[in-house]
Amino acid sequence: MFVTPAAVVLGVFVVYPIVRTLWMSLHDWSLSGRNTEWVGLENYRQLVHDGRFWNAVRVTSVYTMFAVSAQLALGLALAYRLRQTTWLSSIVRSAYFFPTIAALSTMGLVWRFILDPQIGLINAWTGAVGLASPEWLRSTTWALPAVIVVGIWKNVGLTMLVIVSALQGVPPELEEAAQLDGANAWERFRHVLVPSIRPALLFVSVINTIASLQLFDLVFSMTRGGPLFRTETLVAYMYERGFRDFRFGYAAAISWVLFAVIMLVSVVQLRVFRDADVD
Amino acid sequence: MNQTNSSRIRRLLAVLVTCVFAGVAGGSYADAESSSEVVELSLLTGFTGGDRAAYESIVNRFNESHPTIQVTMDVQPWDSIGQTLPSAWGTGSGPDIATPNFDPGIVYRYVDDGLVLSLDELLGTSETQLDPAVVPQFVLDAFTVDGEMYAAPANVATLQLYYNLDLFEAAGLAGPPATSGELAEYATQLTGGDIYGISLADHETIQMWPLLIWMNGGDVMSSATCAALDSAETVEALTTWSQLVVDNGVSPVGQTGAESDTLFAAGQAAMQMNGPWAAPGYAEAGVNFAVAPIPAGADGQVTLASTVPLMISANTEHPAEAQEFLAWWNSAEAQRQFALDAGFPPSRTDLADDPEIQSNAVVAQFASALPDARLYMPGVRVASQIDNDVFVPLIESITRGSDVAESAASAAQGANDLAGCEG
Amino acid sequence: MPTLTDVTAAGVIDSANPSRSRSWATGIRRVATLASWIVVFIGAAAVLVPIAWMLGTSFRSEADLFADPARLWPSEPTLGGFRRVWSELPFVRLAINSVVFALGTTILLVFIDSLAGYALARLRFRGRRLALWLVIGCLMIPFQVTLIPTFELINRLGWLNTYHGLIVPRMASAFGIFFLRQFFATIPRELDEAALIDGASHLQIYRAIAIPLAKPALAALFVIHFMNLWNDFLWPMVMTTDPDMRTLPAGLTLFAGQHVTDHAVVMAGAVISLAPLALAFLVAQRYFVQGIATTGFK
Repeated sequence: MFVTPAAVVLGVFVVYPIVRTLWMSLHDWSLSGRNTEWVGLENYRQLVHDGRFWNAVRVTSVYTMFAVSAQLALGLALAYRLRQTTWLSSIVRSAYFFPTIAALSTMGLVWRFILDPQIGLINAWTGAVGLASPEWLRSTTWALPAVIVVGIWKNVGLTMLVIVSALQGVPPELEEAAQLDGANAWERFRHVLVPSIRPALLFVSVINTIASLQLFDLVFSMTRGGPLFRTETLVAYMYERGFRDFRFGYAAAISWVLFAVIMLVSVVQLRVFRDADVD
Repeated sequence: MNQTNSSRIRRLLAVLVTCVFAGVAGGSYADAESSSEVVELSLLTGFTGGDRAAYESIVNRFNESHPTIQVTMDVQPWDSIGQTLPSAWGTGSGPDIATPNFDPGIVYRYVDDGLVLSLDELLGTSETQLDPAVVPQFVLDAFTVDGEMYAAPANVATLQLYYNLDLFEAAGLAGPPATSGELAEYATQLTGGDIYGISLADHETIQMWPLLIWMNGGDVMSSATCAALDSAETVEALTTWSQLVVDNGVSPVGQTGAESDTLFAAGQAAMQMNGPWAAPGYAEAGVNFAVAPIPAGADGQVTLASTVPLMISANTEHPAEAQEFLAWWNSAEAQRQFALDAGFPPSRTDLADDPEIQSNAVVAQFASALPDARLYMPGVRVASQIDNDVFVPLIESITRGSDVAESAASAAQGANDLAGCEG
Repeated sequence: MPTLTDVTAAGVIDSANPSRSRSWATGIRRVATLASWIVVFIGAAAVLVPIAWMLGTSFRSEADLFADPARLWPSEPTLGGFRRVWSELPFVRLAINSVVFALGTTILLVFIDSLAGYALARLRFRGRRLALWLVIGCLMIPFQVTLIPTFELINRLGWLNTYHGLIVPRMASAFGIFFLRQFFATIPRELDEAALIDGASHLQIYRAIAIPLAKPALAALFVIHFMNLWNDFLWPMVMTTDPDMRTLPAGLTLFAGQHVTDHAVVMAGAVISLAPLALAFLVAQRYFVQGIATTGFK
């Protein structure tokens, strides 16, 4: 009874489409649904030999590793510094959260402008200080790091906020007692605060990882996967095959391989954080 | 206390949910009064941005002059159309008429899936038809599949050479380059300091590099299935220009179309090969520019043409009226006004000398290029894929210093594999 | 959750060895704290640069922008961008649609998700673990690929161009269920058990105990989902063909052309779209951050 409304909505509008994409992945399925032909696991077999697929795997993995760890570390550091309920902390927190609420499509355009090697803000400022600056989104070396930085910029606010909430929930007595006993700030942080907020850290870790592995909008609006596919994530590659080439069955297969990866990574994360609540 | 709170909450939620579902009645798409006299057509296009007004104007004028056929146009971004139109048409719904993509190569996808109507009634000499004699040849090439025509042009565009008069004067150049040799020379001469001689784009753009190849007598594809990327002329052109970019820095590397426009608009590029849409923006940005023909190549005058397909759904209930609309869209009266509104050349070859068209210098310039205009990869069924997977990476790598002959050879191989070249 | 004894036993706190020179240590600590605050401030300013650029550009004419694209502020501010957004869009209608969609869906969503989250955390039923994994699993397929089957389904139900077509499929969210389930799982079971002994039903416990305690988490979820739904232009775009049913962000996409973009208008639209979210966030932030202090999403 509790679960029924959610179960119905999710079941019909989320689970059913998901199952249908699995069905599609076993076909040569044209985007319009008009030309479909059963091919069994052929799509998956083709993926193994697809160089661009593996490139996308590499790009996605690199992005995820850096983005998730940076978001966690920075989010934690910022949350620790800004966990008071003073108005100053409130304002500074809001500053860090602003990127999260700004619409991504517009921010993609803004970042493109700012990172433009010829007329952009960043290079103008670094040039003024005398630093030579790279071509950013047009450089095969710097495009992915730039995308990673923008990704962190966009998402760190959310992580910070969740951790702040969790930190504020730690009973002050714990920290006070540790302080009285002579523990310094770092010791208090490491042995009192961090263990206390483990469920929040788990949640943030899982959500950020899933979101990073599924990265698309940022890449689509900033680089379209270029230059030379250096920023093409799995979902970006999937989009090209599915919507440009009309090979939707192949695209679905890519998304199910991604599903398997995400499931694996999530299971590992839950083990690592030893979430006792999943009984 | 808990009881009243919770029951109040429950009541509030009930009211809210009822309101949402009641919104159904008010918010539902209102059924049009169906009258046996007025035919209603729905049109979906991707013409967002500044051009939108000009296209809306065509539709409005059609509706005014055709009381028995009324067309409503919905505008969505191209990506959004690309995601939903195929399955909408595939499941029997969707608009009557649409521009599925700005890329003419999309036609093959839709034809292969049987989603669009063959326009057998469109071409003809009657009042409600489009005279094939005035349709540019490249349009017929782009939209004819297996001998049948499946799309009418929503617009046509040619590329011309924009050049910055101030920068030319500062460099002591009297006029625009007239030959491909001069183009290379001037580009080198004009480059210096913050200024680039030419603003080239290699992805997310109307393609400019094919023009450089054509000027040297080469080509991207030699036929519908085989590549010409490794031909001597092509490799020569690619070598010349990639060296100019890499060694002389005549153009930034890796620009999108929009970024290359921005560079010219900011006055930091002396030349750019671009379509008619850019002119109003450059004027607004305060650039002192003029438009000249693309410099002549080994085989004479050449430019790149592109056209956006207007296609009719195979599910439409009014094929005759839809074709009439397509024909009217490309009629002399509609195109004359559209050309002036949007700054695009008219999609007909018989309006080049029209006085009104002539009165607008930019439009006249682009229109005059129509006879020499060529399509990029005409008749190639996998053109979009070759562009994205083969050609763009080729340009991206040679402008970053890779060996041209090698890269071109492997690109040609890739294109051959995709297009199914035999031998 | 660690207790005092755990922490002492771990040898972290060394009661036997009193501090060294107290003032020196305090001095270092103060400098470190100050330094960290400075870094955080600089970081905040840096983070806001792109937002500031967006804001500044919304007030610049094209000529102004291209004269010096790297500058943050206009040399001659103009309201042209904002005026065009207002005049070229059925602004009020779009705003109303946005509010109905984002607000309506979020309210329903928070309610439905809390029910499901509570059930997964507290109620014992067969398949509970599977249900949780199913919920998390829903998050693992990117929506770009489920968009097509979902669209086909909505189409077949005849729900295109309707408010319920927009709202009902988004009325429950796996993210929200997972989030609230984690939250409810940390509420001490003693409270539940006491109420159960007194004969209360689960529904009563949910209403009287769980929800009041969950207010901060609910507020957080509300803000997050309201923001996501408000900014989601693709869903309303895909589910409606009638421009009158579109939402504000969807309408704003009309200003970005394939070739030509009037930047002031696009930025102005983004600023306008951002304003209600910023407001909602500032209002809600006090509430949910402060509130959690007393209950603990620990």
